[in-house]
Amino acid sequence: MNENESEALGYNRRDFLRGGSVATLMTMLGGVQLFAQTNAAPAGDAKAAAAKIKVAVIGLGVWGREIINTLARVPQADVTAICDTYPASLKRTASAAPGAAQTADYKTILDDKDIKAVVVATPTFQHKEVVLAALKAGKHVYCEAPLAGSIEDAKEIALAAKAAKNLVFQAGLQMRSEPQSNFLLPFIRSGALGKTVLARAQWHKKTSWRTASPNPEREKALNWRLSKATSLGLIGEIGCHQIDHTGWFLNGLPKAVSGWGSVMFWKDDRDVPDTIQAVLEFPGGVQMIYDATLANSFEGEYEVLYGSDAAVMMRESKAWMFKEVDSPLLGWEVYAPKTTFYKETGITLAAGNSKPPPTDAQGQPIQPDPLTTTPLYSALGNFLRNAVDLSAAAEDYKSSYGADDVDGLMEHLGKVPRRAAAGYLEGFQAAVTAVKANEAILSAKRIELKPEWYELS
Amino acid sequence: MGQTNNTNMKKRTIIAKTVALLLLAMVSLPAAAQTTTLAARSGSKMRIEGTSNIHDWQCESPFIGGMIEVGPNFPLEPGQAVTPGKVEAKGDVFIQVRSLKSIEKDGKPYMDSMDNVMWEHMRETENKRILYHLTELTLKEAPKAKDAPYVFDAQGELAVAGVTNKLSMVVNVLPLGEKKLKITGTTNLKMTSFKIQPPAPKIAMGMIKTGDDIKLIFEWMLAPRKTPGAAAN
Repeated sequence: MNENESEALGYNRRDFLRGGSVATLMTMLGGVQLFAQTNAAPAGDAKAAAAKIKVAVIGLGVWGREIINTLARVPQADVTAICDTYPASLKRTASAAPGAAQTADYKTILDDKDIKAVVVATPTFQHKEVVLAALKAGKHVYCEAPLAGSIEDAKEIALAAKAAKNLVFQAGLQMRSEPQSNFLLPFIRSGALGKTVLARAQWHKKTSWRTASPNPEREKALNWRLSKATSLGLIGEIGCHQIDHTGWFLNGLPKAVSGWGSVMFWKDDRDVPDTIQAVLEFPGGVQMIYDATLANSFEGEYEVLYGSDAAVMMRESKAWMFKEVDSPLLGWEVYAPKTTFYKETGITLAAGNSKPPPTDAQGQPIQPDPLTTTPLYSALGNFLRNAVDLSAAAEDYKSSYGADDVDGLMEHLGKVPRRAAAGYLEGFQAAVTAVKANEAILSAKRIELKPEWYELS
Repeated sequence: MGQTNNTNMKKRTIIAKTVALLLLAMVSLPAAAQTTTLAARSGSKMRIEGTSNIHDWQCESPFIGGMIEVGPNFPLEPGQAVTPGKVEAKGDVFIQVRSLKSIEKDGKPYMDSMDNVMWEHMRETENKRILYHLTELTLKEAPKAKDAPYVFDAQGELAVAGVTNKLSMVVNVLPLGEKKLKITGTTNLKMTSFKIQPPAPKIAMGMIKTGDDIKLIFEWMLAPRKTPGAAAN
């Protein structure tokens, strides 16, 4: 949930820098250790006494397998079952989830009372059926973004999640869980950039998006992303994360979107553009320019916010601030680490930057497992920890106060603190933007985004 | 004719005795109903405060479960006249150890790693609950105002991390109307008295040493236990 982030509205930058806390001191030395909960083992003589929760993954494509590999490192995860309608996917994934039951029918997972949480990583157009059934079966649900390929389906998912107050629903907008982003949010919203005037993001990767298939029937199922009938294309499958991330920092929803796209390079039977551009108009006149292509990898993936005092570039869980020559000195940047990009020098913005890195018995820095430093790791970790906490809170409430006080229970569960994550509302709103942006791209038009489209009634 | 008269007489006697017994039972029932059972209700809170060489700390749980059974001399309504002295009361209370979470001074969550350290030192895996058994309750004096609490001396046993100690403490009982109660109290304890070693986790800057002394502060809400199909007491 993002209630804590919402409270950062109106955050005063001077207070952030001036406060007498240890956190502020660390910021002035170049980095701040946040309430950025990690799933790492606690320091000192305590073991990582993580309460485990049985979880299943439904959908074992490329991203489903990435989820399984990441869950293997999340202390709370006990991957009990995996599901895919394609036997080869099950077989390929089995070694990454040793001991997990394999099934082609997701309903067997939903019937298993021991499995408390499911991660839905099926093709987007299949999300609704699985998610609604999972919520009805009383499972905590992590649903990959975009939630659905249509606003109507996304709304059905979001409303069902909203009604399930005793369950955790998390949309797969993993940047919302990422410690670095949560560290940057108050900093940027406090006005550190001056007046924000522009935003830009890109995703460039030379790849066909086509998966080889052993037969024609499987071909269509495997390559659902290449058909307009089943895919929101680059803006929906990839751009939704970056647009949501940027809008989160700008603290607003887009008011209009214009788009263009075409198949520039991968001339096969696809009707989904392999190269797109979009301009999203945010409140306050801030335009976000977005482009994505499957035909070139230069500069990869990043987002930039441009302000009158500084720009901030975010890339691969790292961030740098580039100050204007006439912007006021904050003081701490003198001591902060810096990186040079061609002619520009970026000041590193990083959570925990001033803490000494952990070392092994020989005093050598310990390099973290790369899979534990990704936004997906944070998102899945927060999902399962929220699920553990909410389930425990419900059990403890009922054992302490009786199972008959349902209203009291639901009221209490609404107050249980949650770790940073995108909820049903954020997921729904991101889906609305994705659907309309894709429409704009396919029609080369400007579409006004009505505020009521983003409301859940 | 004489035998019929005798039979009728016997029947009337049996009926009269039966009615008398029934009347006696009806008179006795109110006395038996004067024992009231009250069950835990939401709105309760258990808070533990402690110290360390770095900073003071606190943790809370929103759950205090259990029940008390009280006799007729226990104050269930505001302003009820109660004679100072021992009152009939017994009770069992429990707190789920895993529901105790560390918090900042403003109530926001503090740190998962501190929670893990705390639970491990309380041997939560084997002892999932803190348990309190009330054995004796004595009213010290009647309250001076109608909305003032009744102050009791409570004797009982407290079990933490599998170790049980006798515990004497002062508790305040505030009737809220309709036999609902708010019971509050504070008591000072030492972790080591429950064979809990004050945690000393290592951190990047050195070691945190937790103080042995802790303070328990509780607010416990109770209401008559709901019995299916029965009228409220």
